[in-house]
Amino acid sequence: MLPTAPQHNGLSVARLIGYSLLAGLALCAVKGPDLIGIDPARQSLMHTLQGPSAEHWLGTDHLGRDMLARLLSGAQLSLALAALSVLTAALPGTLLGILASWYGGWTERLLTLFADAVLALPGLLLVLMLAAISPGSWWALYAGLSLTLWVEYFRYTRQRSRVILSEPSVEASRLLGFGATHIIKRHLLPEIGPGLLTIAAFGAATAVTAVAALGFVSVGIRPPTAEWGVMMTQLLPYWREAPFLILQPVLCLVVTVLALHLSVGVRRPT
Amino acid sequence: MIRSSGLWSALAGRASQAVLVAVVVGVVSFSMMQALPGDSAYRIAAGRYGYDMMDAASADVVRTELGLDKPTSVQLANWLGSLARLDLGKSAVTGNAVADELKVQLGHSLLLAGAGILVSLIIAVPIGIAAGLRPGGALDRITLGASIVLRAVPAFALGVLLMLALAVHIKLLPVAGFQSPKHLILPALTLGLGLAAVSSRVVRDAVSEAMAADWQLFSRTKGLSSGQTLRRHVLRNATLPVIAYIGVQLAYVIEGVVIVESVFAWPGIGHALVHAIFGRDVAMVQGTALALGLTYVVLNLIIDLCCHGIDPRRRSIT
Amino acid sequence: MSPVSIAVEALSVFAGTKQLLGPITFNLAAGRALVIMGETGAGKSLLAQAILGTLPAGLHASGLIHLNGQRIDQLSPEERSSFWGRDVSILPQEPWLALDPLMQASRQVNEAHHLVAGLGSRAASVATRNDFTTLDLNGAERRLPGALSGGMAQRVAFAAATAADAPVLIADEPTKGLDAERSTKIIHLLAKKPDQGGTLLAITHEASVARRLGGDIMVLKSGKLVESGHTEKVLKNPAADYTQQLLDAEPQAWPKQPATPCGDILLSAENLCIWRGKKCLLEDFSLKLHANERIAISGPSGVGKTSLLDVLAGIRAPRQGQVKRMRSVAATGIQKLYQDPPAAFPGKVLLGKSLRDVARLHGVDWAVVTEYLSHLGIHPSLLERRPDSVSGGELQRISIARALTANPLVLLADEPTSRLDPITQRETLAMIADIATERGIAIVLVTHDLVIADRWADSHYQLQNTGA
Repeated sequence: MLPTAPQHNGLSVARLIGYSLLAGLALCAVKGPDLIGIDPARQSLMHTLQGPSAEHWLGTDHLGRDMLARLLSGAQLSLALAALSVLTAALPGTLLGILASWYGGWTERLLTLFADAVLALPGLLLVLMLAAISPGSWWALYAGLSLTLWVEYFRYTRQRSRVILSEPSVEASRLLGFGATHIIKRHLLPEIGPGLLTIAAFGAATAVTAVAALGFVSVGIRPPTAEWGVMMTQLLPYWREAPFLILQPVLCLVVTVLALHLSVGVRRPT
Repeated sequence: MIRSSGLWSALAGRASQAVLVAVVVGVVSFSMMQALPGDSAYRIAAGRYGYDMMDAASADVVRTELGLDKPTSVQLANWLGSLARLDLGKSAVTGNAVADELKVQLGHSLLLAGAGILVSLIIAVPIGIAAGLRPGGALDRITLGASIVLRAVPAFALGVLLMLALAVHIKLLPVAGFQSPKHLILPALTLGLGLAAVSSRVVRDAVSEAMAADWQLFSRTKGLSSGQTLRRHVLRNATLPVIAYIGVQLAYVIEGVVIVESVFAWPGIGHALVHAIFGRDVAMVQGTALALGLTYVVLNLIIDLCCHGIDPRRRSIT
Repeated sequence: MSPVSIAVEALSVFAGTKQLLGPITFNLAAGRALVIMGETGAGKSLLAQAILGTLPAGLHASGLIHLNGQRIDQLSPEERSSFWGRDVSILPQEPWLALDPLMQASRQVNEAHHLVAGLGSRAASVATRNDFTTLDLNGAERRLPGALSGGMAQRVAFAAATAADAPVLIADEPTKGLDAERSTKIIHLLAKKPDQGGTLLAITHEASVARRLGGDIMVLKSGKLVESGHTEKVLKNPAADYTQQLLDAEPQAWPKQPATPCGDILLSAENLCIWRGKKCLLEDFSLKLHANERIAISGPSGVGKTSLLDVLAGIRAPRQGQVKRMRSVAATGIQKLYQDPPAAFPGKVLLGKSLRDVARLHGVDWAVVTEYLSHLGIHPSLLERRPDSVSGGELQRISIARALTANPLVLLADEPTSRLDPITQRETLAMIADIATERGIAIVLVTHDLVIADRWADSHYQLQNTGA
């Protein structure tokens, strides 16, 4: 009877922008490096800190390397790491969440203890420490991210599933003779799916940010690899000569995180 | 009957969280130790006696003394045991006791965290209330847009942008260091803006939800004016979710402290942690991470107690 | 002649261009009561909101409104709010939600005496204490709303709303969610208003409430006036079919369902004991359920009716005693109907898909299911929707069809109609009875309404609180 909330349209537009930005970023990351065909590591000490030109569309850095090539290569690294760690966090996290809420008892207590152990420390701190076991290696970073991110899926799935499994509709389905597969497929997944997607988008944003943050404070990915955070550290001393250079990786990072947030309507499920 | 079981379970929960913090930090630090290249007995001996005085014999003494020839599981147990005795060891770089270094740094970090939270409240509360009173209004939409964009700017990028915009361009503020109160402004602003990006929306939601509640309308229809209703009912009710949300934001505060300190060379625990990781100073990594983790737990506990104190439902007569 | 308190002329409410209510015209004099009656969605609450100026955003009203002789419909919202509490008291629909959850009950009444009636702080305290005594609320002064019962919350809200003693009282569904005893109390309070020379405008969906309030009545259907007049006359000799239907839907007016001959025993329960936590809800309960039999179980809330059904269904084990299912009854031969139909279906799945799943599982031809549906008066187009976009009555009938697809011999119905409008309630229960008779299904109906239990069932078990 009451009119629907007017915000709905605004959010859909936001999502659309998010999707387009994400698609564009993914395309750049996958095809970009091949298309421009410039080696991001090739130095040219005769052409350092240059502005945009026909040869170097976004200029060159302090070692004369092509900025566009380095940004694209950085995008590839960030997005790949984010996608990989989100995937390896989401699947076990969701499955364990369903498992815990389904069986309860010791299974649930044990899994919850694991989750609490991960949650005892702020996420970035844990990633930082895990990555520090083998500094500079991308796999330590990846393992740290996955290990930190799975908890959100677990917690969300467990909490929602507990509520859903105690609903009359599940009892009705059991009385009608349906088994676990049906209940997971028809009751659980449709209800928690959208929430999981949102967690995935926020998790990917967290991963991209963490990779850059660690790179920026010199404890993550190391130079000479082209990574946005590393690029920012390296270009910061040259802000006076070439402020447009330091702004480029910052902008890339912000746009990526913004696109991920927008694609799921900005709000995090609780 | 006075119900206080909620308080005790909160205390017990935080206590077990503190234990988990110690275990996780201990295990990860131990793994870091194991992963270091070379013979750890040599390294420790070098740390103790200096590189000049150290030889294979002293390394062997260390090896037997610390049980480094024993299986990994025994070594881990020993490691966690000394952690349980709060024996944090010495820094491999400076040679000072880790605990002594932490004492100074912790004060600096708490100052920064406190200032950051203060800045965020100064920004978020008035904006949130104003936006929440007119949901969908111009201010609401503008601050929503600002919040979305600001949320997408990670703390260190925000730090860099503020540094470029304020300190260097306007030559207004010192960029890095810790010599005067002025040095606090940029780091606190960085931390506070990041926090306010989300908490302004939390305040806004709490206020607009309270304004849409049945009891808000009933307070009006029983004859109270809009100002009276706001002061007596709406703000009181809106405070609770906001305080609870500060608890959620603590993780961001701690993460922010680590990153912001590194950006502005603020001599706090976060800065020390990053340095220790970079320098492979495992004892310092363990000490700083433990201090940050326990600070996180204590701050959470304070928020728990605040919520408990504010919400009469938690200690009501039933 | 007494002065006119509320005068409404051609009052209509619109959502955009869609007319939801009206046009309505009436004059209500001081010392009189007017009851607005109709089912959910009849626009009754909109009428009160339009008079007060509290319509939700997106709705707007047209027409003339006079309150105590002053035209108010063209005033600004802030001006209109100055009447609230002082010239017109408004009793809220959901008293629990209308009280500030963080403020003690007495302070919420006290602030009305102090800030609205303008009493000094000492006089306000005295007035508040008097209110709590007269309204039988002693001991509830320092409680928070969450610790009040529904009836107590209703009376606290009443005290707060009427603190400034406004001459006009508007009450929206004052008996919603209250049991018989508490309803009587609040109706008694309301009826005092016109007796003391004030004016009462009451909104309800229950004919029994209207009957007890007296005065005049207006019957609304989908926002349109069906008939109006003197309450007693209209309820005795309604001119409109719709009013007659509303009256027929009152359980007191139901014909007694004819008893059915019983068949074989399907389910027997012996010496059941049911506990919730440390509390014994039910002791030594036995029951034999025969094919074709209709049993009703009634009792106050919290007595363990739902737990008993769960034990009968085999979902939950009894603490003592046993439930025996005859060999003729398959595992899926016992099905349940639920109180809240939307909660009984997977929320994100189209209804058609849900039903097809059941048909496939039980090897039932889809044509058979569609036949059940058409028999229950469900249009196939509804199956293209999700549970939340179908009305409660329709959804309950779809859940009956779903249960039938599993070929049950026993149907356990847990308050299946308590959330439905009276007319729908009557139709649905009649349908359940018909189907059971046709197919020889035994039914256990749990209800809080003694009259329904009595009219509808062959036998009636009344559960009582076991003091313990």
